[in-house]
Formats: sequence, structure tokens, C-alpha cells
Amino acid sequence: MRRQHAVDIFMWVLCGIALALVILPAVDIILDVLIHSAGSWSLGLLTTTTFGEGGGLLNAWTGTLVLMFLLFLLAAPIGVLGGIYLAEYSSLRGARILRFASEMLAGVPSIVVGYVIYLVFVIVFGWSFSVLAGVLALTIMVTPYIMKSTEAALNQVPSNLREGGSALGLSHSLTIRRILLPIALPGILNGLVVAEAIGMGETAPLIYTAGWSNSLPTLQLIHQPIGYLTYAVWTYINQPSAQAHQLAYSAAALLLIFLLLLIGLSRWVGTRASRYTSRFQV
Amino acid sequence: MQNDLTKNRSNGQQPAETFPTAVSPLQAETGPAKEIISRVRTTGLHVGFGPREIIHDISVEFPQNQVTALLGPTGSGKTTLLRTLNRLNEMSSGFWMSGRVDLDGRDIYQDFSDVREVRRAVGMLFQRPNPFPQSIEENVAIGLRAHHIVPAPQIHQEVERQLINVGLWDAVGDKLDESPFGLSGGQQQLLCLARTLAVRPEVILLDEPTSSLDPISTQRVEDLVTRLKEKVTIIMVTHNVQQAARISDYIVFLNEGSLVEANWSREMFINTQNHIVEDFLTGRMG
Repeated sequence: MRRQHAVDIFMWVLCGIALALVILPAVDIILDVLIHSAGSWSLGLLTTTTFGEGGGLLNAWTGTLVLMFLLFLLAAPIGVLGGIYLAEYSSLRGARILRFASEMLAGVPSIVVGYVIYLVFVIVFGWSFSVLAGVLALTIMVTPYIMKSTEAALNQVPSNLREGGSALGLSHSLTIRRILLPIALPGILNGLVVAEAIGMGETAPLIYTAGWSNSLPTLQLIHQPIGYLTYAVWTYINQPSAQAHQLAYSAAALLLIFLLLLIGLSRWVGTRASRYTSRFQV
Repeated sequence: MQNDLTKNRSNGQQPAETFPTAVSPLQAETGPAKEIISRVRTTGLHVGFGPREIIHDISVEFPQNQVTALLGPTGSGKTTLLRTLNRLNEMSSGFWMSGRVDLDGRDIYQDFSDVREVRRAVGMLFQRPNPFPQSIEENVAIGLRAHHIVPAPQIHQEVERQLINVGLWDAVGDKLDESPFGLSGGQQQLLCLARTLAVRPEVILLDEPTSSLDPISTQRVEDLVTRLKEKVTIIMVTHNVQQAARISDYIVFLNEGSLVEANWSREMFINTQNHIVEDFLTGRMG
């Protein structure tokens, strides 16, 4: 009895340590970024573009938004449809090939993805540093992740719902659309948010593909580089001047804020979309 | 998908082809039995998953417009047999079968080009209520639309009719647009029944439909089942001997995947000759 009690306490302590190992670094990063960037917060930071080692981050934060928007347009449909295919048609040969390819792709280091896109599109296709090359690199990075999370979300739908659809004689596609997807939606949205967050935090593949620009993003998809926040963090933190450091920390703070907004948005969409599943219990 | 069966039903006619069948030897043992007019029957049915055979050579008939209870100890293959009757086992990996399952003389595994046609004709209610993540109205309407049961403008009216039919209208009539998961378990099961009835099945399979319900909801479902047999043939798996005694007309008794006895309920309760059946019915085994 006493021994059980000791084991119990020991496990609780281990859980506590694991929790601290996750929470403390997160808190440390957030505080560090907020403290270092606090001095430079001004409207000018958001409304002026970068020049030299100073200026604002207008070109960078708008560039990041453009990249994220285009990434969503490209990666979300491919990833979600691929995930549905993997979950619902897994017995087909195509699904095995797709799963293998997706797992391979997920293991490729981001800088390699960036370099391949650089060689093929930036150089051979002659796109030069461009928005589209950057978005392609990010899409290759995050699509396997979206597929995996969509597949997992669909596999978690209780089998008696799937059987309910079949037993009523509904087609497989109708069952997927009207029964499985509404239940899986929060999981799928969560996967999309994490994928966007991964894309937002990437630097290496973008340096090779999107380049960097001090001016505002244009509608031109190729032959025109674009600015983004991670580049500002990566470049200016290495410069000696205090001004450059402030810019880097400000960019990091903006990234954190975008991340919070992204999470908030997905929660909002999730609760609205799951209107008929709000009291659903597995 | 307007198939032959749908056409028959929407004209308000029963499909013409039903076939009287001979009295099985088992019935002969227990005295002269009523002639069975069957709608569903299995012939030499073997069912298994992977290397394991679950159902061994079952040939049995399920009388038309009656409630048949599938009885037997846990693991006797009742649910597997039930799920073979609407081809739902096909969704499980490793499923295999041999023999025939006939619905009105048509082999449901061979003579139907589309499995959806079989499942429309043979509806199913599950152990736990499983409403779809759509509004209450849509839960009933989805099958109506998928099988073109009524023209689109009449769907709302038909949903109302089905909800009245299962006695749920008073409770949900003013919240058709709400989530079904806010309803009680009993109400959810009635909604699932309304959804199943809406597509005009000829046979309904019930897999212990009241095992997760309270006594009052159970009684409502049982009353409905008794009333529904005028229109459909009902085949019900149950663990509950009292329930079988209350509502079944015919009993198919399984043990370890084999047919032990099939007979009219009254006959079986009064003078079964089989000691396994007797032990089970009298509660010495369960």
C-alpha cells in the first residue's frame, strides 16, 4: 500500500517535470521577445518599410501574410484531399504509394527542399527569387503534415457513425461529406493551423526561393522577391547595431502575435462549423 | 437511385414475389408449425473473418411481417449473422462468406448490382444511437434525398410524417434545426429509427436496440417495433429473454455459430426439446 503510494507520487513528479519542460521554454521565449522588443513598439514599425538596418517591418509582415494566404490556397486542398484519400481509400494501391511518398517528403530537411526549388524553378525555369517559388517550397514542407493530421482526424470518427451511413445506403462520398468530415473538422482545422504555423516559422527554404525585398509585396507571382518576418529575425539579430536587434525582436514579436491570431481564428471557425456536433460525445 | 424495390414500395405495394417454404426438420420435432412465409432466408451460410469461421452452415428463414428474435449466449454469432443480412460485414477486414442470403428470392450478394440498394431495403438500428452530425431534420432528410424517396419539395412534410410516426414530433417539432446530440438517448434512438424508416425498408435489423436505454425508452421502442411489423419484417438481436418473450413472434436460437433451433416463440418457450435452449430461456444459462 505504502509502496503504491510512493510510486503514485513519483509518477506525479515525473509528469510535473515533463509539464515544466514544455511550459518553461515557451514562457521564456515569449518573455524574452516581449522584453527586448518593448522599446521599439510604435505605429511606424507597422507602417514603414525596411531600409538598411532600420525602418519598419511593413514589407515583412505583409509579405508573410501574402505567403501564408497563398500557402493556404495551395497546401490546404492538396493536404486535406490527400488525407481523405489515405483514410477512406486506404486499401487501394494508390494510397500505399501516396503514404510512402508523403512520409518520405516529411523527412526531407527544409533546406534541401529550398535548394531543389531553387535549382529547378528559380534557376532552370528562370522564375528568379519569387513569391511562387517560396510558396511551392512551403507547400512541399507542410502538405505531408496536413495529410497526416486529416487522416488521423478521420480515423478517430467512431465506427458506428460510418456504419450508420452505410447501413442507410448512403454513398461513400456522401458519408464522408455529411457524416465524417463534420466530426473530423476540428482535428483537420487544428492540423491546418499547425501547418500554417510551421510555414510561418520557416526561414531556410525561403531564403533560397523567395529572396528578400525591402519594398511592399506586389501581385506579381514570379520575377519579384518578397519580404517576410523570419528573414528579418534571422538577418538583423546577426548585425552589431542595437537598432537592428530591435528590428529582429520586433519581427519575432509580430510572428508570435500572428500565431495567436491564427489559433484564435481556427477556434472560431471550429465552433461555428461544428454547430451540430457541439454536444457530440464519442 | 430508383431501383425495383423502391418503385414497388413507393406505389404502396408489397413486392409480389414471396415464397412459402417447407417446414424445417427442427420445427417438425416440436410439433406441427405454422407455415412460414419468409422474406429473408439464408442457405448454407458460412461467415468468417480471416482464418476464423464465426457462422457455421446456417440455413434459416425469417418470417414476413413478424418480429424474429436472434437469441443465444454471448459470442454465439448473433450480431455477425445480423450484419450479414445487410452486407455490413463487408466493411470489416478479412470478411468472407459462402452460401446464400435471399431477400424476396434475390441473392443480396449476387443479384444486386449496388450494395446501397440492399441497404436501403434492409435498414438497421444499432446498439447505441448514432445520429449524424447534422440537424435533426437533416438526419431524416438525408436518406430521403439520397434514395429519391419523395420529390424535393415534399421532403420537409415527409420528415414531419416520419417523426410523428415514431412519436418524436411533439418533442422535436420546434427544434428541427438543432443538433440531435442534445436529445436524450431514447430520443436519439427514435430519431435513428425515423431515419431508417424514411427510406421505406422492407426489413429492419435491430442490434440490441434498447441495451443502452432506460426502461421507459425501451418500452417505447418495443411498442413501436410491435406496431411496425405490420409494414416491415423485423429481425432483432437481443440478450434479453424477457424482451424476446414480450415482442418476438419467432425465435432463431444460435450457439457457437450454429443454428440450434428456429421456431415460433410460443412453441419454443413451451416445449423446446433442446437442453441448451431450455437452460437459456429459463435463466440457468445466459
